[in-house]
Amino acid sequence: MATATETSARGAAPHPDVTSYSDVNRDILAILQRPGKGWWALFGLATAGVGLMFFSWGIQLVKGIGVAGISKPVGWGVYITTFVFWVGIAHSGTLVSAILFLFRAPWRQSIYRAAEAMTVFAVMTAGLFPLIHVGRPWLAYWLVPYPNARFLWPNFRSPLVWDVFAVTTYFTVSATFFYLGTIPDIAAAREAATGLRKKFYQFISLGWRGTDREWHHFGKAYIFLAALATPLVLSVHSVVSWDFAMGITPGWHATIFAPYFVAGAIFSGMAMVITLTVPLRKVFGLQAYLTTKHYDAMAKLILLTSMIVLYAYLTEFFMAWYSGEEIERTSFWDRLFGSYWWATWTMLVCNGIVPIMLWFKRVRHSIPALFVISIFINIGMWFERFVIIVVSQHHEFVPFAWGVYRPSMVEMGILIGSFAWFGFWFLIFCRLLPPVAIAELKEVLPAPMRRKEAVDHG
Amino acid sequence: MSSIHIPEDIPVRYLERSKRGDLLVAALVVVGLGSFVAALIVDSHMAWISWVSNWLFFTSVAMGAVVFAAATTIVKARWNWSTKRVSAAFAAYLPFAFLTLLPMLSLGGSYFPWVAEMAHDPILQSKQAYLNLPFLVARNVVGAAALFGVALYFAYLVVRPDLKAMSTASGDHPGRARWRDRLGVGWIGQEEEEVRSWHRLQVISPVLVLVYAVVMSMFAIDWAMSLEPHWFSTLFGGWFFMGAFWAGIAVTAVSISRLIPLHPDFRTSMGLQQRHDLGKLAFGFTVFWTYLFWSQYIVIWYGKLPWEQAWMIRRADAPWGNMSALTIFLCFVVPFAGLLGKRAKLNPGTLSLFCSVILVGLWLERWMLVAPSLHHDGDSVFPLWYPLIACLFAGLMLASVRWFLATFPVIQVWQPPEPIEMLEPERATSLTPR
Repeated sequence: MATATETSARGAAPHPDVTSYSDVNRDILAILQRPGKGWWALFGLATAGVGLMFFSWGIQLVKGIGVAGISKPVGWGVYITTFVFWVGIAHSGTLVSAILFLFRAPWRQSIYRAAEAMTVFAVMTAGLFPLIHVGRPWLAYWLVPYPNARFLWPNFRSPLVWDVFAVTTYFTVSATFFYLGTIPDIAAAREAATGLRKKFYQFISLGWRGTDREWHHFGKAYIFLAALATPLVLSVHSVVSWDFAMGITPGWHATIFAPYFVAGAIFSGMAMVITLTVPLRKVFGLQAYLTTKHYDAMAKLILLTSMIVLYAYLTEFFMAWYSGEEIERTSFWDRLFGSYWWATWTMLVCNGIVPIMLWFKRVRHSIPALFVISIFINIGMWFERFVIIVVSQHHEFVPFAWGVYRPSMVEMGILIGSFAWFGFWFLIFCRLLPPVAIAELKEVLPAPMRRKEAVDHG
Repeated sequence: MSSIHIPEDIPVRYLERSKRGDLLVAALVVVGLGSFVAALIVDSHMAWISWVSNWLFFTSVAMGAVVFAAATTIVKARWNWSTKRVSAAFAAYLPFAFLTLLPMLSLGGSYFPWVAEMAHDPILQSKQAYLNLPFLVARNVVGAAALFGVALYFAYLVVRPDLKAMSTASGDHPGRARWRDRLGVGWIGQEEEEVRSWHRLQVISPVLVLVYAVVMSMFAIDWAMSLEPHWFSTLFGGWFFMGAFWAGIAVTAVSISRLIPLHPDFRTSMGLQQRHDLGKLAFGFTVFWTYLFWSQYIVIWYGKLPWEQAWMIRRADAPWGNMSALTIFLCFVVPFAGLLGKRAKLNPGTLSLFCSVILVGLWLERWMLVAPSLHHDGDSVFPLWYPLIACLFAGLMLASVRWFLATFPVIQVWQPPEPIEMLEPERATSLTPR
């Protein structure tokens, strides 16, 4: 497919330790071979976590939504927080595959497959939470607008309905994009596989043979989908932010929410890419493919988005004071020094202070350091949503209605389970599809023919 | 898409000085200054509104262009190797931006409604720590000095390694030589200069972007938002400086379209790749501007809070509604439709046309941020003073950018040959096959 990677004769190769096409096939397809003990241990852990999630959800289904801690005045608690967290995580995939593709950033090649897969699974995780939150998931189809005997229509002026459209559109396009990009690689895996696995690959590779014509169409389809997916990167999290910003709750009703949420989503999504690819790189020996250069570029993107997020935090605090409105000022004062001060300071430190370390090249080039920072960011971004959603509600207009929310065991079980559910799918993905894009990597390697020529002429 | 080819030998080319150009600049400045004096006599209120709106617009354009050059430096872009000097040239306007800011600082109560309202408005009294004249003057002087200073330093770093090439090229004239000597103090050799400039640019460019975001937000709050002192919007600063960035892209595209017919070297180096990419960015930011506008609008519309929607209603209702519609038409509808296709981006004429529309749209947008807030019954929604006084600012901008491009090479002669991280030890040692 068309990518503008600028390689030159001066040794500017993006993957200096990878010399030939067959290296790529060998190294990447090796991941799909028999899994090691580490994989099974993680998979066991993930399965147990998924069990915990469904067990907790089961309790809630049997006993009713009352087992969750959400009540007046905090009607949106851990479930919605976690929903927003996972939708945010889902952002980096499309950013990396669509926007960075259009911006011709060559470093995306090594990480985009993992990032796209992450996107799809993160949306799958996020999608569970509205169902969990509404309490009676068997009525969830009421959200879908269609002519029906009940004469029930969703309220199109409700941001929650916009959300249904935004998230399903995003899921559809990112899943299509993800699948399209994998087709040539599935075909490569097909050649190496045997038995049932081969049959499976044969089926989902759609008979890809790698002819010129096929590549031509593939390239066209890819760039069109990239252009279509680009506005979606902005739209999804904007609409999610409007779930809050449309309300007049102090702390929710802010015009900056849409771009601020998008920046935060990319921030957390890139951090999650680092959190996932560092172990992946280690376990499967992908050091030659995911070099410090790739991590450096990701760290810079995280740094940029952290600055945007910090700008938004500071603007919000300043405007709350500048507004002169008693309620705005009280609300933001409560954020910093009220019942939930620990959540706010966790958010500020993890998202605003810790990423400052990324200004230093030595930190950006240290993979253990990036791994630790990325975990801080993951925690910080969960707390950011917690602060926005829970802390704003607990201290609204009327002092009579102030209250403190504590998540119940059921909610915590589902929160922990959601990470396991996400990991569960990601682990299966690593075993089933090449987690690094084979075909795109080959594009940036010196072509075998050309190398030979160079030697001849030399 | 292909890889970007940067030629080994980039010719040293200057913008030719022309009598017609000088005459145009002189005419613009005379008309602008004359109109401003006349306006002060006839309607000083309107004169200052026009001055401030124009100041906001032209400062936005110049800063946006410089920050555009800085942003492409940060991401080590190679496609704009031939156009980034043109973007950086707008730094030459910044001294004028600073000078034209100074009279605005003396306006006080005649411009800022909150000065008079402070006495009897408890909400305003509660924010007196920010809304007071000494602090306003101090933060604007310090902020502008810091922002313009960093931007000028950026332009200096960009130009410095070219000074040697300037001295060896033919057609030197005294003005140019003077600047070359002045800026070239402590010359340490061509290659060393390039390396040093490149390293310093890596540091100063992110600093410039940070200062830009903060100071431009402050300009937006002080000179536009505070005019309706009960109104506040968290996105206002971001919307303002991203619009300015977009203006910087558009003005670069317009400028190169004007340069292309002047010399064959410009035509070949500011080629399809550059125009296509500038067009794509101008188009992309059209959508982005609209996105930001909409993000602010929908939240205020939906919230329906009296103090918040007042700002929007003033601009949506008579007499301002049509002007608002025209602004959106020029900032979104026309450039969106016009720059959607590939051909319009490649052709210098159409690229320049639609980017000019963007600039006019943003010029109206800056007016709409300021004027409706200070409207008195009977005021015109678009007094002729606004375009007439704009002539002064446009003349100063044209003069300074023309001076810059006539004094320093239009196309940057030194080029950072490879993105620097490609040359790290890890790369150099590991070329042997496994």
